[in-house]
Amino acid sequence: MISKHTQFETTLNIITKIQWLLFIGMLSYLLINYPNIPEWHYGNVLRINGFTLLIWTVVTFFSALISSYGKNYLKGFKYHSKFIALSLGFTLSIMVFVMANHIGGLIVFWMLMGFFMSKLIGINASWGEAKEALKYTLKYFLTGSLFLSIGLILLAFYTKEITLNGIISKVNEIPYYITLISGLCIITAAIIQSAIYPFHRWLLSAMTAPTPASALMHAGFVNGSGILLTLLSPILFASNTLIILFIIGGLTAVIAQFTKLLQVNVKQKLACSTIAQMGFMIMQCGLGFFNAAVVHLILHGFYKAYLFLSSGENIAHSKPQNQSNITIKPLQIIVVLLYSAVGTFLFGYLTGKGIHLNSGLFLTLIVAITVGQVTYNIVKEPSLSVFQKTVLPPVLFISGMVAYALMYNGVTTLMSDMPLVAVPLSVSPIEITFGIIFLIGFFIMKLGIYRNHPWIYAKLLNISQPNKKTVLMYKS
Amino acid sequence: MINQIIQKSIEEASQVIGKTWPLHAFVTSNPLSGYEQKSFKEATKQAEKLLNAKVFPEAAIFSEALQKKYIDRKELIALLKENQLLDTPEEYLEQMALYKKNAKINNHNVLDNITAKWLAAFMDEGLAEWEMPNRQEGFYKAWRKLAIYDNEIPKTTIADIPKTSNEALEIVLKDYEEEDYIKIFTFHLAALPGWTGYINYRISSESKWQEEYPISLNDYLAVRLWIAKKIKASIFPKNEGITTPSSISKIQYIWLKAWEKSWQNELKLLLEGQQTALQDSDDETTNSLEAQMVFCIDTRSELIRRHIENKGQYETFGYAGFFGIAMDYEDMNNGLTKKSCPPIVNSAYHVSEKPKANHSEKVIKYKQHKETLKFKDYFLKRMKNMLPSAFGYVEGSGLFYGISLTARTLLPSQLYKVNKEQTTTHETLCEPEIKKTCSTDHLDLDIPLAEKVSIVKSAFDLMGWQKFAPIVLFVGHGSHSANNPFGSSLDCGACAASPGRHNARMLAKLANLKEVREALKDHHHFNIPDNTIFIGSEHNTTTDEIVLFDSEVPASHKNELQNLKIDLKKAQETATQERLGIANNSVKFAHKKANNWGETRPEWGLAKNAGFIVGPRSLTQNHNLGGRCFLHSYNWESDKTGKALEGIMQGAMVVTQWINNHYYFSTVDNNVFGGGTKITHNITGKFGVVQGNGGDIKMGLPLQSLMQSDSEMHHQPLRLSVVIHAPLDRVINILERNEKIKSLLDNEWIYLMIMDPLTDNTIYTYSKNMNWKTANKKASKKEATKSIIVESEVEVTM
Repeated sequence: MISKHTQFETTLNIITKIQWLLFIGMLSYLLINYPNIPEWHYGNVLRINGFTLLIWTVVTFFSALISSYGKNYLKGFKYHSKFIALSLGFTLSIMVFVMANHIGGLIVFWMLMGFFMSKLIGINASWGEAKEALKYTLKYFLTGSLFLSIGLILLAFYTKEITLNGIISKVNEIPYYITLISGLCIITAAIIQSAIYPFHRWLLSAMTAPTPASALMHAGFVNGSGILLTLLSPILFASNTLIILFIIGGLTAVIAQFTKLLQVNVKQKLACSTIAQMGFMIMQCGLGFFNAAVVHLILHGFYKAYLFLSSGENIAHSKPQNQSNITIKPLQIIVVLLYSAVGTFLFGYLTGKGIHLNSGLFLTLIVAITVGQVTYNIVKEPSLSVFQKTVLPPVLFISGMVAYALMYNGVTTLMSDMPLVAVPLSVSPIEITFGIIFLIGFFIMKLGIYRNHPWIYAKLLNISQPNKKTVLMYKS
Repeated sequence: MINQIIQKSIEEASQVIGKTWPLHAFVTSNPLSGYEQKSFKEATKQAEKLLNAKVFPEAAIFSEALQKKYIDRKELIALLKENQLLDTPEEYLEQMALYKKNAKINNHNVLDNITAKWLAAFMDEGLAEWEMPNRQEGFYKAWRKLAIYDNEIPKTTIADIPKTSNEALEIVLKDYEEEDYIKIFTFHLAALPGWTGYINYRISSESKWQEEYPISLNDYLAVRLWIAKKIKASIFPKNEGITTPSSISKIQYIWLKAWEKSWQNELKLLLEGQQTALQDSDDETTNSLEAQMVFCIDTRSELIRRHIENKGQYETFGYAGFFGIAMDYEDMNNGLTKKSCPPIVNSAYHVSEKPKANHSEKVIKYKQHKETLKFKDYFLKRMKNMLPSAFGYVEGSGLFYGISLTARTLLPSQLYKVNKEQTTTHETLCEPEIKKTCSTDHLDLDIPLAEKVSIVKSAFDLMGWQKFAPIVLFVGHGSHSANNPFGSSLDCGACAASPGRHNARMLAKLANLKEVREALKDHHHFNIPDNTIFIGSEHNTTTDEIVLFDSEVPASHKNELQNLKIDLKKAQETATQERLGIANNSVKFAHKKANNWGETRPEWGLAKNAGFIVGPRSLTQNHNLGGRCFLHSYNWESDKTGKALEGIMQGAMVVTQWINNHYYFSTVDNNVFGGGTKITHNITGKFGVVQGNGGDIKMGLPLQSLMQSDSEMHHQPLRLSVVIHAPLDRVINILERNEKIKSLLDNEWIYLMIMDPLTDNTIYTYSKNMNWKTANKKASKKEATKSIIVESEVEVTM
């Protein structure tokens, strides 16, 4: 018995160490060869470039991290070894998926990602609700894979090409309605995976997964759509469907962010936040900034993994608090506006985004408001000194921007050999309309108007409920 | 008049629901406390039926216990035989294993889901930024206003739903017989026992949340039954519960008893072996004592006491960890007041912090620092919640989260050290100040000297204190763990799941007061030497470090204190070595366990508790009790009237029984009575956890606090065996006066054994209706060597 335990632990340690070594190896390789990452092909089937290595580095990081964390967290769990196997299977599926050039590879490994993830959701085979959640989520993933298959096979059939490169090179030669249909199919596959409305419910029903599996899901699975859309961006351009991404993504981002506000379970709250962030990522794709979407999916992965892994910290003794409305003084408004302007300028300077009159403006607007919000919250805080109020906002937004720019520029360079991943679009009326909707959402939230409409509360509460079969379906 | 019948029926039905404590003040109470006036067998049978729960250990656990010799095979066979069960234990194991309780489909799935949805939304304690509208009107009314938008129930208008919960109950119940009300209510209250238990808690604790947003069991039942009617769910389901066939439960009960008996035999053997030590203890001089330390009765104290005792001339005592001060404590860090004494005791005092002389400025700075930290939390929450900063924030901070992720995962023990060095605690700047609770006039500054004296005196009385060493430590205890929703379950149970440091500091302060000492000397028989100093301190049960709040100790004691600290450090090392089972770097390993966010078993809390020994330390000294016993110091000779013992039995004994029963039930059915596994917990409302996607909140300890692994036990589910070292007559007197304690014994919630010093330390075991059994001593000793136990009973009927 005891020797079996220690044997298992030794194996676990070795597997974990190998994963960390892999991560360190890949990161060093990227850093040493940066910015010229040699491209490598295996016939028509596989292709490894800067982007592939970037995703590999990120994925091995998460899988090593989860492995280390799970070593203690899952100690004594009946299915610990199954967990390791499924996580490894999942990690390998993404890795193969990003290097696949053959559409068969893309489809099969996309499906396998979903398969492994749903297995992780239902890993506890002796728990009825978990099995229900497995079935429920697997349905979504298989549907997504089906859509992806239709989209890709249709293109393959018309272009007579079986590789991604081949299809992309001929995508403009086939009838528009075919590209349109397959574009729509690909988008559907993507938004199912990202739990974008109306396909969001699977993510809210996936908490039967052990916490580290949830971290992996939110850091490496839901954002798979960002990778998919980036790989297939030329098809989206050709089918003229970016605007759809923009609208669906934008709407989801706003609605999910509101839904997040009323969640009382910490993991559901995080899930709603993920849906909003995925909406934002899809919106970035819709604006033509696939590189920005990739940066977002990586950074969001860090952020959300952290919050999941620390989700046990949310117990606290508290008392009811009244919402206090604090008015802002004119001088403070000037500071807010000034810092926003400085921040915007700096952001443009560091990333090259938003200095021209194109869809990038939209992203810049968000940065400007964020800087404004940072400053606003700090200058109105009575417990801070004048010096702190003056210095803190720039320290925060400059360090945030530098960190972001570092990632953004690095990722953009690594992706530079990929077609159509950073193509700002001209600003269209639809985008302007949407920009305004976004601003309205911001003001509704800022002013707390939503609180006066209980029906919104009830509706949002209902759309964010998990599938009923995955809750209290069995009596112990 | 119908309303009164409803009201009465609800009250009666609610007897069966326990209390779900919030996780920030997790009290390990008996989940079946409502059944305590029934016998253990009867109570478990009813609970089993109502909750579809397991109430005895599973066959696999029994099998493990037999294999590991926790169950004495001979004892088991004897007990089986006594009950005309003549097959081998293995055959009975098989029979028990064959009977499996299977999970069955919940017929009320939809109803449970909808009810739980609204309960969770209403009872939230600040996790959601956007709270349920109209909460201040109470649960029923707030729900009523939203139910018309709820598309999970058939469309309805506001006029359809009665205005008050009582009207709603009347309408729904009018089709049912009055005598069925209790059954209907019982069924629906037990459908979501975690939530209804929490309603119970909120009502009885009168929490701020309950004050502001009231909820009652009537509200709950009205909402639930109205929805049930609307969605056509059955309101009065018949024959829902299944119970284990009595042939099986009988076997299970015998096995449990055999297990308990085996442990009692072990304990008896150990205590009887201490006879010589008991006699010697009188000769021992206390003059050479370097220090005395008072620890909580908590089972975890046993280990550290043993390790300190063998480091030098140290004497240790056991005392309830709230140090006899029935107080609430106001935390200056968040301004919140929390109970800091046993939940069964009403708080008479309110303790808060005031700056020490010449420290006012530092305290102001400290408070400013806390304000800034509070702002930081608020700021980050704002950034994450608002549009569109949520997106900008994630992009700007993502990389930093990545760095943090790596550090917390790979370097927990290093971070623990860094954090500890950086944080200043208010204990060095402030001193505790005691006042009366709810004194209406704020001018009431101090409590009368007599009360101060009485607090200090009763501590020394209960422990049977004789002589004072130059340094006396009052050692409270608290635990340190990271990312642990159940953190408070590892803190001091006697302080209502708060760390015990403030009670310890308070008592030390009172005992150091000149006027208190004078009064003790003049009016009572306690003569505390001038050079004796009392110091509050805390035992960190996760790392076995003992922190002294000694900033006010006079220079005269500096050297002695230094030596003491060195010994405490050594004790930490050896104690962690023993507890964690590693020879090197055990302290570092303990730090890692304390600060690793992926650690689900930072320490074991009170797991393995099975005994409560009331008596002098010499009774157990030099023995490794394996952290299985609560230890309360008691000297029968100095307690002439028996008052002290009565106090211990009414207070500490009942608390230990609660703790023990909680551990028992959480272990035998971890999903129903416990918390289930931690790895799929989902925190709700900042006070509870649900499993996975939601549902009912969990009422007890998680699997990781009780089990070595999913299948291997750590805690042995046994009922508490209390051993009291006192004359039998004295105990009998006390039991005659305290019907409640007697009924706990008669109903077999605990066992009682008396070690009577007047009859040569013979051990008498209580059995129903004040009968006492004793094994003929000489005979049993002989038999022990032959390993045959044939109890020759001497009945002493009173």
